[in-house]
Amino acid sequence: MFEAIVLLFLGGAVLALASGNRRFSVYAIYLPPMAGSALAVLFSVAVITGRPFSWAAQGVVPFFHLEIFVDGISAFFMLMIGIITFAVSLYSIGYSREYQEARRVQAFGFLFNVFVASMFLVVSSNNGFFFLVFWELMSLASFFLVIYNHEREENIRSGMTYLVMTHIGTAFIFVSFLIGYLQTGSLSFDSMRGSSTSFPFLAKNLIFVFAFVGFGTKAGIVPLHTWLPRAHPAAPSNVSALMSAVMIKMGIYGLVRTLFGLAGLGASPEYAWWGVLLIVAGSASALVGVLYAVVERDIKRALAYSSIENTGIILIGLGLSVVFASYHLVALSALALVASMMHAVNHSFFKGLLFMGAGSVVHATRTGDLERLGGLVRLMPWTSLLFLVGAVSISGLPPSNGFVSEWLVLQALLSSSQIPSTILQISIAFASLPLALTIGMAAATFVRLFAMTFLSKARSKLALNVGEVPRTMIAGMAILASACLFLGILPSLGISLSASAFHLQYIPPGPFDAVSLQNASGRSFAGLSMPVVAIMLSCMALASLGFVRVMGGRTSRTAGGTWDCGFGGLDERMEYTATSLSQPIRAVFKTLFRPHSESDREPYEQANPYLVRSVRFNSSTRNIFEENLYNPLVSSTLLVLDKMRKIQTGKINSYLLYIMITIILLLLFVRLSHA
Amino acid sequence: MLSISDVVIGILQAAVIMALSPLVTGIMRKTKARTQKRAGAGVLQPYYDIAKLLRKDEVVSDQSSWIFRVSPWINFVAIGTAAFFIPVFLAYSPFGLAGDLLLVIGLFALARFFTMLAGLDVSSSFGGLGSSREMMLSSLLEPAAFLAVFVVAVTYGGTNISTITEAASGSALLPHPQLIFAAIAMFVVMLGETGRLPFDNPATHLELTMVHEAMALEYSGKSLALVEWSQSIKQLILFALIVDMFVPWAIPQYPGPMAVGLGLSAFVVKVAVLAAGVAFLESSVAKWRLFRLPDLVSVAIASSMIGLVFYYL
Repeated sequence: MFEAIVLLFLGGAVLALASGNRRFSVYAIYLPPMAGSALAVLFSVAVITGRPFSWAAQGVVPFFHLEIFVDGISAFFMLMIGIITFAVSLYSIGYSREYQEARRVQAFGFLFNVFVASMFLVVSSNNGFFFLVFWELMSLASFFLVIYNHEREENIRSGMTYLVMTHIGTAFIFVSFLIGYLQTGSLSFDSMRGSSTSFPFLAKNLIFVFAFVGFGTKAGIVPLHTWLPRAHPAAPSNVSALMSAVMIKMGIYGLVRTLFGLAGLGASPEYAWWGVLLIVAGSASALVGVLYAVVERDIKRALAYSSIENTGIILIGLGLSVVFASYHLVALSALALVASMMHAVNHSFFKGLLFMGAGSVVHATRTGDLERLGGLVRLMPWTSLLFLVGAVSISGLPPSNGFVSEWLVLQALLSSSQIPSTILQISIAFASLPLALTIGMAAATFVRLFAMTFLSKARSKLALNVGEVPRTMIAGMAILASACLFLGILPSLGISLSASAFHLQYIPPGPFDAVSLQNASGRSFAGLSMPVVAIMLSCMALASLGFVRVMGGRTSRTAGGTWDCGFGGLDERMEYTATSLSQPIRAVFKTLFRPHSESDREPYEQANPYLVRSVRFNSSTRNIFEENLYNPLVSSTLLVLDKMRKIQTGKINSYLLYIMITIILLLLFVRLSHA
Repeated sequence: MLSISDVVIGILQAAVIMALSPLVTGIMRKTKARTQKRAGAGVLQPYYDIAKLLRKDEVVSDQSSWIFRVSPWINFVAIGTAAFFIPVFLAYSPFGLAGDLLLVIGLFALARFFTMLAGLDVSSSFGGLGSSREMMLSSLLEPAAFLAVFVVAVTYGGTNISTITEAASGSALLPHPQLIFAAIAMFVVMLGETGRLPFDNPATHLELTMVHEAMALEYSGKSLALVEWSQSIKQLILFALIVDMFVPWAIPQYPGPMAVGLGLSAFVVKVAVLAAGVAFLESSVAKWRLFRLPDLVSVAIASSMIGLVFYYL
């Protein structure tokens, strides 16, 4: 079955190249990955509920032993890839027509299939070498997809940033694996897992730190996130959906693999700092991500910043799990890990949905600028409804899946009172502040995104004459929207699935399918039963409808103009804009944004400054990470390289001299090291 | 497992909150009027207002979409559902198995989410202004609420409201020093969430001062009744939470005719005193400038953080 899945993805890639730019080529491109991902879903569920799958193919690649091993953890991420790929492929059938007219769709289809296949292989490879090969394949395929719209200079630059950052990350992962190799003499994950607990403490720490930086770059941890808000908006929207929903989760997958396997986490307080590092990085990412998201003007870039925020929440859960594990609090560690993984799955569902929704908006209006959108709720009813489901879920509002996983993370954070170390208790308690702020801000972010895109009057002509997107696109979004609601109302299904995937002590659902958390003495400290909440909400809705009808009787509803204080002529230039809507938040957090605005008035007469002919207003915020961290780094690197250029004279004599000097130095080195 | 009598008790407690909430609003208005040397309307006036509005025809903006029409219902349903988790005349709420304090905060956030959308839906500057201010305030008030809840939850060992109230009801007034800080934070959150001075002035319709009223400006008839009523219910829920967590006197642990009577009268007295206190405070402070409000919320957040440190030390 595994072979069949890989063959389907690769078959899709070949078919894409072969089918040319015909009318039915979109089906040739996207039906194989749909079939493959449907099979992948079945396969991964079978692995999670049954036994692990392993497949060793000698001789597929000369000199190297291709080891495939799919255990619960791999299968869990495979399930995520499967569901998202299915929905995104379905969506892409409609979405790609736009590209079919403009240019050849073959290259896109080929890369799309290779991208999906490589992610699938990353989570199933059991050998450091092949992991890195597939990792690199994934990075390159996604790089070419990011620069697919290469007419725009800006997209090429975003792609280059992505390429550089992802390779820095890969280098760190490589070093992490090499340290494991130096300890065991093998790149096989099995041998590393087998002996990692007996590695020297320093080696364990180094493996963790390098893996943290490497995988953290892919996951989008602040301050390594800088590629993310550039690459996601540049890519076509179906690719952004895949990248944000699944690819950044590969970074999380790598971290989970490293923490609970390759790095040999032990149950002793000296490992607690790993968790603290994850919590600190997670809190910073969550807060910085959401603060940039709430003021961003571009809909896709705002979603990208929100991915950084959610990565932060996932990392807080993961870090708590490590801290609990290091103090041997097994049940709490399981709770935190389940919380983190549930949030990873939930984020992939709603972020995939939101990116597809944003893609539909951009597809229909040709702009992602919030200041030019508006009023689409009447023109695109289905897209707006599905986007609203995604917005409610990502804001962590009941009864959606986002609420459940954020609830679990908050409960894990509250349980930090059981750690037997006062300093850790207090510092983790302080981490609840950024998390709580993030949850509050996320709702504001998505009120703004939804309202500016879909509500009130259109702010430019672009958003006036548009229609609903094709049915396949709506169906793709609807799959993920129903997944969001399903996991919101029946979360115990996802929780028990992730618990058995990670071989955790099973948290049995309480009565009425409740998630009931108990402390050491067996007393319930928190309970949440989403099915009951959903039933209560619907009963309440019925009761209030009935009450209002009985008390109020039949009344009519007439349409009138919006209240304009009696002046008349209320138009779209008078309504709130995306920038003005977030102005109070920009003002409150001005140390971070450094808002800068200038206005330029041109009066009719110099004598009277009150009669203004035209006003030009420019407002900008600054990216302190780029300015204070990356720009100095890049400019100093360029300076060093510039100095080094002096030895590149271009004369053959001097190069011969360099070779000569190198040989002499090498000979000396060999001589001395053998002496 | 829930028995029939538990379900009945739960529904009764929620019904008490929904039925008494306009009365609390009335008491507050009356107290304000009296402190300002006015006669004021009777304490039952909010009931008459709601009853009248329910029978009125509606005018909706031709610019608005279904979001605007649905939002008062979502508002009312979310906040009404939250009322089921609040202990009123007993120290527990039978629906506590299904949801905890974080769910109550989540339901409030759901209501606010749609209120903000509705404010932006009508494409008037007033709605945008209200939503913009609410976005800033709520994104600061929600963390303050979470942190205050955290202090209480670690003190009493859980976020289940029943667990907290049962643990609190046996104890003396504020037995733990950190609860004083949590109470300060919760009080500020309550003022902000219910739109009281110095955050918002529920009595005016000036664009300088409006926050919540600006978002609800376009509503009329049944929708306005729902918006106003749910605002009252939210206010009473927050009062009840403060009373249950920080002043847990005379809350019976087990149901019985005497106990329920005692619990109910104690609840009414405590809430009435708190409401009158808030109204009195409102008469004596002025509306703060919008950008000074984050300072007040930071005081609440800092207070909760001090409370947390106190608990651990």
